[in-house]
Amino acid sequence: MSNNKNDKILEIKDVHAKIGNKEILKGLNLDLEPGKVHAIMGPNGAGKSTLSKTIVGHYDIDMTDGDITYKGKSIKDMEPEERALEGIFLSFQHPVEIPGVNNAYFLRTAVNAKRKHEGKEELNAAEFLREMKKYLELLGMKSDMISRSLNEGFSGGEKKRNEILQMMMLEPDVIILDEIDSGLDIDALRAVSEGINRMKDGKRTFLVITHYSRILDYIKPDYIHVLKDGKVIKTAGPELVAQLEEHGYDKIEDEKNEAENK
Amino acid sequence: MKLKINSLKGKSPEEIVSILGLKELLPSQQNALERFVELGLPTKKSEEYRYFDVEPLLEKEYELLEYIPKPIEESDHVEIVDGVVTSAPKGLRVYYDNCDALDLEHFDPMYYLGHLLSPRVIKIDLDGDNDVELIHRFTKSNALINYRIVLFNQANRHATLYESFESDNIKDTLALYGYDMHIMPDSTLSVVKTQSMYDDRYAMIASHRINVDKQANAILKTFDLGGDKALQLIKADLANYAHVEAGHLLYLNQAAKRGTVSKIVHKGEHATSNQEAKNILDGNARGIFDALIKVENSAKWTKAHQNSKSILLHDDAYMAAKPQLEIYIDELEASHGATTGQLDKKQLFYLQSRGIDYVEARKMLVMAFAKTLIETVKDTRHQERIQKAFEEAFYAGHKEKKDK
Repeated sequence: MSNNKNDKILEIKDVHAKIGNKEILKGLNLDLEPGKVHAIMGPNGAGKSTLSKTIVGHYDIDMTDGDITYKGKSIKDMEPEERALEGIFLSFQHPVEIPGVNNAYFLRTAVNAKRKHEGKEELNAAEFLREMKKYLELLGMKSDMISRSLNEGFSGGEKKRNEILQMMMLEPDVIILDEIDSGLDIDALRAVSEGINRMKDGKRTFLVITHYSRILDYIKPDYIHVLKDGKVIKTAGPELVAQLEEHGYDKIEDEKNEAENK
Repeated sequence: MKLKINSLKGKSPEEIVSILGLKELLPSQQNALERFVELGLPTKKSEEYRYFDVEPLLEKEYELLEYIPKPIEESDHVEIVDGVVTSAPKGLRVYYDNCDALDLEHFDPMYYLGHLLSPRVIKIDLDGDNDVELIHRFTKSNALINYRIVLFNQANRHATLYESFESDNIKDTLALYGYDMHIMPDSTLSVVKTQSMYDDRYAMIASHRINVDKQANAILKTFDLGGDKALQLIKADLANYAHVEAGHLLYLNQAAKRGTVSKIVHKGEHATSNQEAKNILDGNARGIFDALIKVENSAKWTKAHQNSKSILLHDDAYMAAKPQLEIYIDELEASHGATTGQLDKKQLFYLQSRGIDYVEARKMLVMAFAKTLIETVKDTRHQERIQKAFEEAFYAGHKEKKDK
């Protein structure tokens, strides 16, 4: 990866983070380049989801040390909504259901909050619906999903598609996909991946957090970062995926330890 | 003439008549006086007022108003200003008359004080399938504004009364009003009340009596929003196959103390009642839902359900939820329950993570909670009005917090 500061859209510097009394991230360093797809892989409990929560300012996280800068500006003291308005988007592993909040109303509120933040005119209901319909078709979503309560009664696949719909409408600059493939059948995975790939414009940055390499067959990564015990222990190109498939995460750690002992 | 309501405490009927400056008592007043003396003034120990903090209201000195009827102007709604009718729609019968609808079994002493002070009541005849709007307006400071309304409807008809409240920039007034309703056989009478209060302009004690005749329906939806002090006390009696559908939404902020005390009495067979309260409390507000359903010996095959759900938005907010059943028969179906919780942090975070600010996200969640009650109001125009009033009260509460 380049060390040129201008090449980094998001810099995670020596971040330590706790959930309750347990330290999960233990001096994590990671730089994301604009326009690239970064995949984070790692075993259970490595801190993958904690990392995504830390970036978006989740209430569970107590970030005790380090800094996160986005477009050169520290975001560690920003509220979650400010981070979102600045262009950071997290697609949740388990999107919550919110009965009584209409999906279209929610999304229009979010889109207009972003437009307002960017000094653009807010969309009226008709303009918004027109815009949304384009994406619904692309994602193979039924039109009644927009009139239902947010994620209520949605299948796993529908929830993930809804996440991607939000992503497409909100046009963020950094997109974190937390286990986007979990619970998806092959058709849903294809539709979701297609939506994600359409968002790849050479400027947007993706951070794909995953257990398995399956999603990386659909969303081609530029970099693979291996996370273990709260730290990035290796960064390499996409060829690392095959190595991980074959030897698992322990081998990477052994190599790291050997290198450190030399 | 001025009155401290507390000055009536422990007094004999004759002394009360003298303090209130009453001359000849009508039969309804005589009955009201006897019951008032029997029940005594409410105190913080009185079951029905124990969460309301009534004593400071009774301690204040109020100006007693004179209620001189005025010519009623034609308008698209009924307007009652300081207890006097000023306008009404053409063709709607609104008039003053002696009260002939006093309930001698009401639990609220203030119901009887209201009747004692209001020998002539405002009668509204809801002929046919009417939708009527009623605006109560208060313009006097330091006053005791008391009036009683008797609502009539017709058998086999379905009428709805939408009531709301407005006030000038007044201070320290107490409004003491209420309905006596007799809902005719095979008819439906709906009352939809929306009351937004923002400061200490006026406090209110609204004491109602609803007599639901056989196969009649009483539908009561109340939306109490904002701050200040107000209590509605409702007694409803159900005849054979009668039905009561009551929904109460509270959104309170600041140091509000508001809510509902009710007693629904199943007297006839096969009567049904369903009472639901949703309460959202912010600041150091106190919400009240003290609701009793009584099923008498005669009320076989009753179905009675009541439920209270509360969301506390602040650590200092408090909900006094007391759903109760008092049952004297075996052949019935009944349930009651109460839950209190907070906003779901996961839901709140989800909305914020999409760029929706904290206040707006909270509003979306409380609105979602309140919506099921708002949507029970049939007319969508009124639904929108209630929703708007709710949002105004919500933003007013949050603006105040911000300003502090």
